[in-house]
Amino acid sequence: MPPAEDLLIEQIRAGEDGAWRELIARYEGRLLGYVEQRLHNRAASEDVVQETFIGFLTSLPNYDRKRSLENYLFSIAAHKLTDYLRKLGRRPTLPLSGGDGSGGDWTPAGKERPASAAVRSGERRGLEAAALTAALLTVAQRWREKGEWDKLRCAEMLLVLGKPNKEVAQLLDWSEQTVANQKFDLLERLRVHLQRQQLDPDVFPELTAE
Amino acid sequence: MPLPYTLAELEGYLDETLPVERMAAIEAALRGSPELLTGLAKIVQRRDAGVHSLAEIWRRGRVTCPDRSELGQLLLGLLDEEQANYLRFHLEIIGCRYCAANYADLQAQQNEAAEQQTVRRRKYYQSSIGLLRNKAE
Repeated sequence: MPPAEDLLIEQIRAGEDGAWRELIARYEGRLLGYVEQRLHNRAASEDVVQETFIGFLTSLPNYDRKRSLENYLFSIAAHKLTDYLRKLGRRPTLPLSGGDGSGGDWTPAGKERPASAAVRSGERRGLEAAALTAALLTVAQRWREKGEWDKLRCAEMLLVLGKPNKEVAQLLDWSEQTVANQKFDLLERLRVHLQRQQLDPDVFPELTAE
Repeated sequence: MPLPYTLAELEGYLDETLPVERMAAIEAALRGSPELLTGLAKIVQRRDAGVHSLAEIWRRGRVTCPDRSELGQLLLGLLDEEQANYLRFHLEIIGCRYCAANYADLQAQQNEAAEQQTVRRRKYYQSSIGLLRNKAE
């Protein structure tokens, strides 16, 4: 967290009104933008943002300062928005059990979940996620610095949208083989990064799928 | 029959990070598809069991999100063409909701009357300040 944000959080924890006003002024616009995109209703969106700020203060004792403040606020807003949409009946409540019926299409690629996954601690999972995030940020930053924008586009379409190689190749006007190579290189870098940190790549099924 | 959504998209749906049109399409599909509902529940189970996905890590880590000042520069037309094209791709093709929210906010700051912002901020402040005082006690 940047020092200025750290100080702001400290002041809010100490109950300083001015700091709380400052946080609201800094973040309410982007939170409103996030919610309003979805609701298309200004009054309802403002209510959700209001709930977000209340939720922030309620959860402040548990806030991990290593986490970006903006991301934390967006995640609270996402929860409040989901609650609101559920009340409207737009978003269904998920069944507690996924069952084992006709779900073949939902099985993620790669090996089955390792038995150890179920008993791993939250801390361990946090370490795994942080390690992979750091590796992805390093790769992405390198591409940005070199102006390799198409490599960024390729990785985002493959990993964030889950598009198949063929579609990505068409969109980038690359050969399918080039996309496949690019994907392999990225996944291999991530595997190596995790192994160096003595983390198990098996908890990332996509890294062991190919 | 395979459903027309990728695993990455369904994770984005659960996290409220997909572009709004895609969110609405999945919501509409859910009304008539118990399979889709079951599929989402399975993703939640996988997460609860500690299995990670690259899409989830990427989105949560904001791996390719520009910082807010870059979005401001995009709005003002100050970026070089390649970088500007990439940011537009991130906003429009990837449909990053967080960056779209920041971009919309920056646009609103240019256009919105200061009085509207003040009224809104006062409302948020007044509805939450009691909690702040409770924390400090």
